[in-house]
Amino acid sequence: MWIVRVDMSDRSYRLQDVSAAYKLLGGRGLTSTIVSEEVPPLCHPLGPNNKLVFAPGIVTGTSAATSARISVGGKSPLTGGIKEANAGSSWAPAVANLGIKAIVVEGQPKDKDKYWLIHLTWDAQAGKPKLEFLPADEYTGKDLYEVFPKLYARFGVKANIAACGVAGEYGYGNSGVCFNDMHQAPTRYSGRGGLGSVMASKGLKAIVADATGGPGVTIVDKALFDQGRKKLADALRSHAITKPKGGLNSYGTAILINILNEAGGLPTRNFSSGRFEGAAKIAGEAIFEGNKQRLGKELYNHACSPGCIIQCSNTWYGKDGKEQVSCQEYESVWSLGANCGIDDLDVTGELIRLCNAYGLDTIEAGTTLGVAMAAGVIPFGDGKGAIKLLHEMGKGTPQGRILGAGTATTGRVYGVTNVPVVKGQSMPAYEPRAVKGIGITYATSTMGADHTAGYTICPEILSVGGKADPLSPEGKAALSRAFQATTAFIDSTGHCLFIAFAILDIPSGFEGMVEEANAVLGANWTGDDVVKVGSAILKKERAFNEAAGIGKEADRMPEFMKLEPLPPHNQVFDVPDAALDSVYGEL
Amino acid sequence: MTEMTIDVWLYGALSRYGGAAREPSYAHLSVVLPEGSTMRNLLAKIGLPTEERGITFISAQLSAMPGLQPDLDHVLLDGDRVGLFDPRSMWPFQYRHGAAMCKEMERALNEEDTALHHSYEGDG
Repeated sequence: MWIVRVDMSDRSYRLQDVSAAYKLLGGRGLTSTIVSEEVPPLCHPLGPNNKLVFAPGIVTGTSAATSARISVGGKSPLTGGIKEANAGSSWAPAVANLGIKAIVVEGQPKDKDKYWLIHLTWDAQAGKPKLEFLPADEYTGKDLYEVFPKLYARFGVKANIAACGVAGEYGYGNSGVCFNDMHQAPTRYSGRGGLGSVMASKGLKAIVADATGGPGVTIVDKALFDQGRKKLADALRSHAITKPKGGLNSYGTAILINILNEAGGLPTRNFSSGRFEGAAKIAGEAIFEGNKQRLGKELYNHACSPGCIIQCSNTWYGKDGKEQVSCQEYESVWSLGANCGIDDLDVTGELIRLCNAYGLDTIEAGTTLGVAMAAGVIPFGDGKGAIKLLHEMGKGTPQGRILGAGTATTGRVYGVTNVPVVKGQSMPAYEPRAVKGIGITYATSTMGADHTAGYTICPEILSVGGKADPLSPEGKAALSRAFQATTAFIDSTGHCLFIAFAILDIPSGFEGMVEEANAVLGANWTGDDVVKVGSAILKKERAFNEAAGIGKEADRMPEFMKLEPLPPHNQVFDVPDAALDSVYGEL
Repeated sequence: MTEMTIDVWLYGALSRYGGAAREPSYAHLSVVLPEGSTMRNLLAKIGLPTEERGITFISAQLSAMPGLQPDLDHVLLDGDRVGLFDPRSMWPFQYRHGAAMCKEMERALNEEDTALHHSYEGDG
């Protein structure tokens, strides 16, 4: 396998053999290692010294279930720290099947107004991947729903696309890297942390990958792989959350809207309440029933990427029975719905579609609108106003640029005190004053506030939590540490994090995940190694952040959450600083 | 006998027990019960067999999961909000760690040592 080094200063590339040190790495483990070793922590995220790294996971490209994840890494323009954002897309297995372990995009062209795309294919004669650099100016300044069909028309249906939107071209802190879904639409995002801007800063508009003729992924121990694959697939097919027509397949991730609302933990109107009176109208159940009414039949969800068993992605159909958008995810419906006081799925659908079109992260976009609403720019609940503000972002007007810089910047510009961010990145859809375990992870994650940073699997095997009482602040901190390490491991395998729901409860599924990775790599990891491997990744990320000036002082919740009790529980975030410090202090 | 009013939300397929308050994906109704009534009494009043419910909340406290229903004798209070979900609904541990639950639920999870798990044993 190769690491592809792309230098955008002169549009050259070279294929590098994978060094011994990188042999056992993949996905997040590889992107974070390359970033921490090669990117100067104090560099400007949009300058020539930052790098953008793409890495499929360890088992991505094989027949391992639910494993088509691509990890994207770099220094974040939003947080100023290290960033890893991953997405599910056919782009990931395509790159893996070309024999590529990572693509490292370096340098910067002198001419800042020119954009290029890379056409990545298999050179059968030479027996290695080939990259062509093609002018891409015709694709800039445009809606990605216009760009993707043009690229497919030009490169054919076997193409897989990674691209930035106009949000990246403007250099927004809120800008994702967009990948194609199974219907060739621009809907799958490595959304968080502004990596779309890093891509655009290199004059790189898109990487179009076609794996035709590629060698595929080498599996060292085929029998072990088949055994592990079966164990994990069986776990996913039998668990209530992940099985076909189970919770995620029926209702999608938005199944959590009503649940968190009843729990008093659904952040509402810029984190001023844990309850939204309109929640039931925008929940997963409402999406399911709404589609049923509009289509005249039940519609179950689909896979975002090849080989997924869970299949949690939904499509929302408009009043005319035509597809409006994919996907009304929990986080997106919450951020652009409840968090903005909006209770209409047609409005959240349009807001999500605009985020996809412009290259914006839906979470950061919704929390930014929430802060703008708190400032009185438009009232809470004003769907038309929210749509207009997203268009301002898409057009790059002065106000749009303020909003595009993200939630923290918008709060500063408008003088808002209640700004729900940690390390400059906004919080997702779980109120930390109501669900305190996740609050510890928001505060301490190397990524800024992030709901995907702390997943757990099989606690008996991992002995997570150690001896501390899991209900004490110290116990919660120990759990958060183990969860973050576990997550870093899953993010390295190339599996979707949602496999964790099943393998938290089904030990054979967990064993299957470890066996698959061992089989591909020829490694000998045991269950105990999962936390060790994950911890090693976290240490690198943490060291990068500290060198970038983001130390433990940044592992804090915004002050208003410690001062203002949140209804209906009327609790503040009261986890002591010492407990927060122990998460990484004792790593 | 003094009466009390319970604010009841039925989600997903359970909306069919909502009578006139039924919407396609939920039902929101006020149920009047004698003071001192329990969750069991509430379910009987709306005609909902307890095995048909999954995740349940009593005033923002988790009180039941599919296959784990320690709340049947929980005494409800006037003004309580009760949220009842379809067994297909879910709340992964990852997103409920540290959330509030009623005393009966806390005890049940600790006794069975399943506090870190998803309790979906009752789900076919």
